[in-house]
Amino acid sequence: MNNKPVIQLKGVARDFFDGKQKRRVLEKTDIEIYPKELTILSGPSGSGKTTLLTIMALILSPSEGSVIIKGEDVTDLPENKLATLRLKNYGFVFQNAALISALTVMENILIASTVQGGSVSKLLHQRAEDILKRLGMFEYANIKSEKLSGGQKQRVAIGRSLINDPAIILCDEPTASLDVESSTIVLETLKGLSEEGRSVVLVTHDPRVFPYGDRLVQIEDGKISSDTGSQIND
Amino acid sequence: MLFHERATALGSIAGVVAIIFLVGQQLAILFGLLSYMSFLVDNSGADIWIKTQNTNNFNASGTIPMSYRDRVMGVEGIEWAEPVVIGAGLVKLKNGNFQAAQIFGTRRPHLVGGPTRFYQGSIDGLLDGEGVTVDKLDLATLDFPKIGDIFEINNKRARVTAITQGMQGFSGFILYTNIEKARELVSMSTDRCSNVLIKVKDGTKIEEMRLLLQQILPKAEVIATPKLSKQTRLYYLQNTGIGSSFGLTTIIATIVGVVVISLTMYTNVLNKTKDYAVLRALGARKIDVLYIVFLQAMYIAIIGIFVGFTLLSMFLFFTKDSGLPSYLPWWMPIVHALGTILLCILGSTIAMRRAVSIEPATAFR
Repeated sequence: MNNKPVIQLKGVARDFFDGKQKRRVLEKTDIEIYPKELTILSGPSGSGKTTLLTIMALILSPSEGSVIIKGEDVTDLPENKLATLRLKNYGFVFQNAALISALTVMENILIASTVQGGSVSKLLHQRAEDILKRLGMFEYANIKSEKLSGGQKQRVAIGRSLINDPAIILCDEPTASLDVESSTIVLETLKGLSEEGRSVVLVTHDPRVFPYGDRLVQIEDGKISSDTGSQIND
Repeated sequence: MLFHERATALGSIAGVVAIIFLVGQQLAILFGLLSYMSFLVDNSGADIWIKTQNTNNFNASGTIPMSYRDRVMGVEGIEWAEPVVIGAGLVKLKNGNFQAAQIFGTRRPHLVGGPTRFYQGSIDGLLDGEGVTVDKLDLATLDFPKIGDIFEINNKRARVTAITQGMQGFSGFILYTNIEKARELVSMSTDRCSNVLIKVKDGTKIEEMRLLLQQILPKAEVIATPKLSKQTRLYYLQNTGIGSSFGLTTIIATIVGVVVISLTMYTNVLNKTKDYAVLRALGARKIDVLYIVFLQAMYIAIIGIFVGFTLLSMFLFFTKDSGLPSYLPWWMPIVHALGTILLCILGSTIAMRRAVSIEPATAFR
């Protein structure tokens, strides 16, 4: 391996309590995510792939096991520190973009940098402009995000994920409800981001996405059923 | 995020406007009535009042001997000491109806405590032996009397010699007249008066003078004007139900406002659950989410306060010369605005609690 993993999950499992009984939705799992790699987590609905993604995202804490980010065990960090870790290290692309409809495209990009307060510097604004130019969305900068098409929204969501220059980008079904053309643009953009050196993890159940991945991890019944392994880092 | 949903934002702002305007106009009327209650005291120009003992309302005061005035006149530090006669009158109108009035008689030629603002005529009208004033606001109720018209008050003759402006009392209309006419109208003997009003010379301490006069007149009550004013207002507030009535209305308006703010802000947070979840996922801490909702509450408060006070100012402007008592002391809008901001924060607490309870994982569902 020529790279150290940015995310390491060691023996991570997750239980949910449905009000009557405890249910294990993610069995003990070990997985490492590397830079410069687009990892696809795939599996049927309810297989546990989104649970795995949210544990990687430091949003859901594991019931067992440990989460290591850039070599540091963050499993037991308090909520506020995890939020700051997310802010500094992660970018998110949600299903259906999940932009804030009240804000313009530019504001949606900038908010990812100012969620913990602080003002927008000229440098930050310039960076947001550069990202929008790169994504071909600059002309929409001052348009309310609700007026964009699905594909445009998802490109803005990618832009939002990039504003803090994160090492990790986590995507949850980013091509769901997109047409083929828009899906292609989104996937090629994400592929490009991984090639720049970022770790991109993408949850999907759409097999058309698989060719873009450097690594495919299949999850079934809360377990990793197959893992092609790192194509780049092996 | 709140302002994106116009109906919700307008609902919250309407809650604040309701608090500012409804509570504000209730307070304006209450303070207007309070000023009416103690109007004769506040308008007297005196520093000290001499009255009968054991009364907590100057309107209910009995009579005191005129000799009290003579006994205090020679005291060093007194600029003037003037007797006044205050009593009730029943005015017979041209149309045959009767109206209750409060008669205030002041001694010629100084006419201390007399009216200060006139619509027609002047204070010289009270120099006339049978002259009385009526107020512009009471003209309609008194069947539109004109200067020179003859009235029958307590079955005695009086003549309108001036029309005052904004001289409003609490217990009926105020009819100013000279002390002799007042005595005749209320059937008070010439050796009695209702009160003696004292003005102290510049440099004389009012409280020290009051204590000195109290020693000289142990059977009377010597009271500073502000205290008598406060005592009178307090008496009416506690004994007429005005205080509880206005208090209840104010509380209800406040509750309605807070409920409207609470519901609309809470609904907004519910509608924007996904947005808050996304912000949390992106790295917002609970305190940051709290700040966003707080900031929205502050925006609502500021806009609502601005609109509410604009409406309230219009209300005060248009009722300025009407019979409706409306007056706000200078400090009241400040207290009202600060109170409303606090209520906005209170109203947004449920929304805040809901917002911070939103899990970032919701963004992935």
